[in-house]
Amino acid sequence: MKIRVYAAPFCSFEDIDEDGCLDLPEGAVLNDVYKKLKVPFLLRRILFATVNYRRVGLKTRLEEGDVVSFFSALGGG
Amino acid sequence: MKGYMGKILKVDLTTGDIRQENIPDEVYENFLSGVGLGVYYLHKHIPAGADPMGPENILGILSGLLTNTGSLMTGRWMAVCKSPLTGGWGDANCGGTLSPAIKQCGVDGIFFTGISPKPVYLYMDKEGAELRDASHLWGKDAVEAEEILQEECKTNKKPKVAVIGPAGEKLSLIAGIVNDAGRISARSGVGAVMGSKRLKAVVLQGSGKTGIADSAGMSAYSKEVATKVKNANLPKFFKGFLLPYMGMLMAKQKKVVAMDGMLAAMINKKFGTIAVNTLGMTNGDCPVKNWQGSVVDFKKRQYKKLNPDRILARETKKYHCASCVIGCGGMCDIRDVRDGRYAHTHKPEYETCSSFGCLLLNDDLEAIFYINEMLNRAGMDTISAGNAVAFAIECFENGILTEEDTGGLRLKWGNAEAVIALLEKMINREEGIGDILADGVKGAAERIGKGAERFAVHVGGQAPGMHDPKLDPLLGIHFSDPTPGRHTIGGAVYYNTMYLWKEVSWAPPVKKHPKSEEYIPSDREALKSIATTYYKMLTDGAGGCFFAMILGVDHWNLFKMLNLATGWNLSAEEYMGIGRRIQTARQLFNLKHGVDPRDFIIAGRIKGDPPLTGGPLKGITLAIEDMVRLTWKNCGWDENTGVPEDALIQELHLSELTE
Repeated sequence: MKIRVYAAPFCSFEDIDEDGCLDLPEGAVLNDVYKKLKVPFLLRRILFATVNYRRVGLKTRLEEGDVVSFFSALGGG
Repeated sequence: MKGYMGKILKVDLTTGDIRQENIPDEVYENFLSGVGLGVYYLHKHIPAGADPMGPENILGILSGLLTNTGSLMTGRWMAVCKSPLTGGWGDANCGGTLSPAIKQCGVDGIFFTGISPKPVYLYMDKEGAELRDASHLWGKDAVEAEEILQEECKTNKKPKVAVIGPAGEKLSLIAGIVNDAGRISARSGVGAVMGSKRLKAVVLQGSGKTGIADSAGMSAYSKEVATKVKNANLPKFFKGFLLPYMGMLMAKQKKVVAMDGMLAAMINKKFGTIAVNTLGMTNGDCPVKNWQGSVVDFKKRQYKKLNPDRILARETKKYHCASCVIGCGGMCDIRDVRDGRYAHTHKPEYETCSSFGCLLLNDDLEAIFYINEMLNRAGMDTISAGNAVAFAIECFENGILTEEDTGGLRLKWGNAEAVIALLEKMINREEGIGDILADGVKGAAERIGKGAERFAVHVGGQAPGMHDPKLDPLLGIHFSDPTPGRHTIGGAVYYNTMYLWKEVSWAPPVKKHPKSEEYIPSDREALKSIATTYYKMLTDGAGGCFFAMILGVDHWNLFKMLNLATGWNLSAEEYMGIGRRIQTARQLFNLKHGVDPRDFIIAGRIKGDPPLTGGPLKGITLAIEDMVRLTWKNCGWDENTGVPEDALIQELHLSELTE
């Protein structure tokens, strides 16, 4: 299944396709995204990443078309 | 049924003549509405060399093509004119609730020419328009005048009002136009032009609807956007004290990636623009001490006093502009602030906090609340006013100004009392220092002489927004725009969230790359800047909000909404062609009026000449001339002069404007 990922600069982008998606097997959870993106293990519990803009646990099961987004700083005003 | 009304109102203030004029479809097809219709009309009707404060200048007040169509975050209105501050194209825009009222009165824009023999205001409803005496309003501040007009012109509902305050009446070149009791269309000196015409206010009492091609489609898309934004929230634990740490991470970030624009909505929903108050101190975004300092000069113990949590503690109500689902605005209770003169004020924007905070080394937050209300009521641009005060302090520090010149004020960094006293002099245009500073730093430096110009930080006469392009070099290109110094046009940080490359083949995709590449002039960086600019021109033609624009096309797709409204079914690239036309027309306007585009390229401290000696941007000088040269080249403008090439003028069908 395809999961749309907005990754952070410290992530590995190797597995993200041109459309910004990761291909994951059915039944994959948020932690599988972290693994694919090679997010350091120690960071996984403290990172602010959301699924469909909701903060959820690492074991949250993903579904086709879900959006995983990592928090990055933005300015403006 | 295409989202626009197809008509404008023309008001000759000299003769009192008021008439409607139909605008052909092809004008909207070529320029949209808003800033596009504005530049088309002003280019045609303001003669070369016209005095910006004279009768030949035209002030346009326009709605956007998507305003009042059921689309979301498209409720901004635009003021356009020949700018008395820069001598070239002037525009400014603002949110609130005014923009839909223009179309509800049956027109897309109102254009004022001439000069009224006495103070007047324009009243308009769906039956028509008339000029009314405004003698009783002249001298009132913007909030007082709006309250009086809303009562005076009330029917079954309160009308919407755009009004100038004392700054505009007194022809301060840094005056803006105010709506919704303190929101302000602040830049380019648009309020000075309104004041020069003795036009105190525009009062709109409309209720008409705007037909669009596919209202069901628009409704469905708006629901989709609204649901996403509604669900996007920062976690409760995320408080303002974390923002400086985010800024530090940004400053240390060596790689750049495309980001999710919805995160901007999350931040703006929670804090509004004030999130940058402290985040911008640690990443270098905030200009310090008249653009010569850094976080080394305005330390944590000082900037933490501007922590957005301390501002939100006074917020009594959040509000949304027309058709907005983010809602970054708020009202704050300030009854206990200083002399208790004001009961409440709009939540100060980041730009105000910065121009009266770090720019002046002032950590007195209560003074900033007070100044915010003071300037909103006066109808004076807070960016330009703070910039003028910073200039005056540096002149004082260097002996160019003395206490004799300042009427006894000891202008020192961080002296909030003196700043407020100086602002009162500027608002009232008191003879001497108040009168001199009321026209911005360029004119002030010319009048003061004695080498004061080296402390005058401006781009083509206009104070730059409170964002340092040495953090984001693309911002430096946008500061060098036909409306110089405007901060909400773009930057790399925004391009990285917009995903324009998904829709526009020539827009460079953002793949993980070293941040250092942004500092090297290249066609890629130039194209990023150009894509952002063209999309911003479309946004300003549609009445869109910058904070919606940076959500990106994944979440707020302007191309889609324009097609739903107009039924034109154009491709994204065809729309970008319209953006290109608007941008080129703005440049042609400047050339017609004798502006040399090279004079609008950022210089001096803004570009890092001399470079900062401390903080995260220490030692950086932007190669801005080469960046702008490549941008002009890729626009189809002469890379050395900024003059659009003849072939481009033909291609864009702009010959009508150049004949």
